[in-house]
Amino acid sequence: MQPSLREDYLEAVQLFSEKNTRFPLTEELAAALFKTVPVVRSDMAELVSSGDVIVTADGVITLTGQGKQTGTSVMKKHETLQCFLSEILGMDSILASDEACTLEHAVSDETIDRLGKLIVTRDHYRHQGKGNRHKPAGDRTCRVEKDEFCQSPSISEFSEGEEVIIQCIHGRACAQRLLDLGLVPGERAVIKRRLSNGAVVVQVKGCDVAVSPEIASAIGVERSP
Amino acid sequence: MKIALLGNPGVGKSLIFNQLTGLGVEVNRYPGSSVALECGNICYKQERTEIVDLPGIYSLDGNSEEETLVRTFLTSGGADVIVAVLDATKLERNLYLFVQAAEFSPKMIAVVNMIDAAERQGMHIDAGTLSSHLGVPVILAAASEGRNIDRILPVALGQATPARVHVPYDHHIEAALKSLEKTIGTPMHTNLLALQGTGDDPVLLDAAGAIAQEIGMRHRMSVGQIIATNRHNFAREITAAVVKRTARKKPYDLDSLLTRTFPGIPILCTILFLLLLSVFLIGSWMEGIIVAAFTTSIIIPFTALALPSLWDQIGFSLLIALQAGFGIAFPFVFTFYIGLSLLEDTGYMTRAAFLADRAMHRIGLHGEAIIPMVIGFGCTVPAVMSLRLLKTRREQTIAAVLVTMIPCSARTVVIAGIVAAFVGILWAFSIYLIVFVLLILTAVVLSRITPGEQFGMIVEMSTLRRPQARLVLAKSWLRIKEFLFIAMPVLIVTSILLGLFQYFGLTELFEQMVAPVTVTLLGLPGYASTALLFGVFRKELAFETLAVLAGTADLGSVMTSVQLYTFAIVSVLFVPCVSTIAVLYRQLGARIAIITSVYTVFLGFFIGAIINILMK
Repeated sequence: MQPSLREDYLEAVQLFSEKNTRFPLTEELAAALFKTVPVVRSDMAELVSSGDVIVTADGVITLTGQGKQTGTSVMKKHETLQCFLSEILGMDSILASDEACTLEHAVSDETIDRLGKLIVTRDHYRHQGKGNRHKPAGDRTCRVEKDEFCQSPSISEFSEGEEVIIQCIHGRACAQRLLDLGLVPGERAVIKRRLSNGAVVVQVKGCDVAVSPEIASAIGVERSP
Repeated sequence: MKIALLGNPGVGKSLIFNQLTGLGVEVNRYPGSSVALECGNICYKQERTEIVDLPGIYSLDGNSEEETLVRTFLTSGGADVIVAVLDATKLERNLYLFVQAAEFSPKMIAVVNMIDAAERQGMHIDAGTLSSHLGVPVILAAASEGRNIDRILPVALGQATPARVHVPYDHHIEAALKSLEKTIGTPMHTNLLALQGTGDDPVLLDAAGAIAQEIGMRHRMSVGQIIATNRHNFAREITAAVVKRTARKKPYDLDSLLTRTFPGIPILCTILFLLLLSVFLIGSWMEGIIVAAFTTSIIIPFTALALPSLWDQIGFSLLIALQAGFGIAFPFVFTFYIGLSLLEDTGYMTRAAFLADRAMHRIGLHGEAIIPMVIGFGCTVPAVMSLRLLKTRREQTIAAVLVTMIPCSARTVVIAGIVAAFVGILWAFSIYLIVFVLLILTAVVLSRITPGEQFGMIVEMSTLRRPQARLVLAKSWLRIKEFLFIAMPVLIVTSILLGLFQYFGLTELFEQMVAPVTVTLLGLPGYASTALLFGVFRKELAFETLAVLAGTADLGSVMTSVQLYTFAIVSVLFVPCVSTIAVLYRQLGARIAIITSVYTVFLGFFIGAIINILMK
């Protein structure tokens, strides 16, 4: 059996088991890979003999320790490559996934490691100042944000007396004055007053700053933990 | 030696300036800018020292007129020593400006003002540690008590040094600054500004722009935000090292009343109403006294001299102009300025702006525009002068037209004297109604057609505090001086011209020339045009002249109600008085002055004609 075919099988089983929290039946695996059941069944026999999977009597395909390791590793490679292709190189995400399927079998661990670090750095910068803890690296998957900068709710959506952390400031025109008054990403602020039209008085760095509604709507914040 | 005071708005710079210079204050304007710079000269140890009070700003990075002015001042070495005034209660935020100014490496000292208020809040500031962090001498002062103000000059003249602060910028920014310095050879503060898109060297801006975009992409955050965050964090570290806090019981927060819709808005309306009422009452009482005293002590003796008639006419016109100037300036404008300075110095004005923002927003303005609008009810000239409070050209333009349309106290006299007296009190109110409807229509149209970006309101709420009588008076005095400086020459020249006009018998010629408009279109008697002409000089003169020309104080017997009503509405609406035109020209340039004048003339005649046609 081709090594790439073996890796594809193991990856597919691992992906299925992570998604459904159980191992697939032969029929289900065949459907996921767009193959016929007899082909899968004969290939499984080969994988059983190489010690990657165990097929139970009722047709459930279970991964052995060795099989699971390979499957997980290939799956991670796929994610990293897809993320790199789509988010950093800007490729279409379906094309990126197809391309990743080919590349994942040939790519070295070192390359994946370095690509992973590059993506982590970018991820890290994107969230810098956001105030929330960074996700552990292993847990990171490829997330494509619709809004490039920030999706936090605006400060007008919070009520009087709440303490918030400023996440981002949209728009260029009004940003400078807000920055000068200390409304910078990562800064804590208390909403001292909120009128019904969305105008707010926020206390930041010990100073009260009155902000009209249209500017308040440009300040993205999260509730302070 | 030249010393400049630099600081955020509301840190007590003016009070310190006032205490350092005493009364010898003059207001200068920087070339090409409408921002006023207060300058004072003092003698210290047989050396003439000039002190400049720079406008209060939050940052040196922005592009507002004030910020640009201070930046130019710093880069051109406008002063030998910069005295940075910091508010002890808001030290962290104030240090943000300090570290920016330090990057221009002028000789500096730091004055930490309001130390008394900080102590009351349980904050203790270690001057020694602060001084070692900043690398400049630090003076802890309380200007309201006069504490340590006398130390400022000796320290500023003797020990000022360039500050030793270096903000640890993000390493990408640092790298960008180094590479710009190497490739283009510009200093750090210029490069920092260029990274944020400010500067006048196209090569530098081009290079900096490319780098800034790259950094922005990498960080997913604009360079401006990164730089501001770095500076704020640096300021926070210094503050943490020098300020010790002991917990104090929080005093009652008046803002829980003042900034809420209820009872905030009723309070706002009450305060504004009381302000207008007291200015009107005190003003008319004082005006009566001043005019009477002027007449008996100067004008009557002058006419008794019986000079040759040409000289008599010129002298008389001059005296009338002086009488008018003082009769308005002190009673109305000065009273208004005192009330206004009180509202500003207590810190209430920022609350008023916050509450008024919603209503102002509908007419393309922002909360701060409430100040010129309110002043406009007293007198248009200071209202136009206060337009510089507004940030954008767009807002200034809209507000300028609106402010000139608001019925000032002189126009109230016309409405009361002509319409309320001879036509009816309800008709008098209908004039107000018409004016306000036109005002709102104009505002709505203007907010659509005036070019420029709509800019929301961001104001720092000034701390509520007890106003200082001395400072309120000094401020009002400075403003009234500016008012007289603008209004007086205009009044005198116009008055003499009108006097000569009458002397050479040109009035009749003028009446014939404009007869098609006044007689045919407006249906007024011929002499009304002369009265309207005098109204340009000073609005209530329209009423007084009309009575003189009609030959009777009982206007009802010589003119019909429609004529009186038309006359009143035309004189209320059309052309702001000459002083207003002069101040419009000075503050906002010839274009706005001409547009406003032409628009109001057109509006006055248009509405007058409609009323004449409808009611005849």
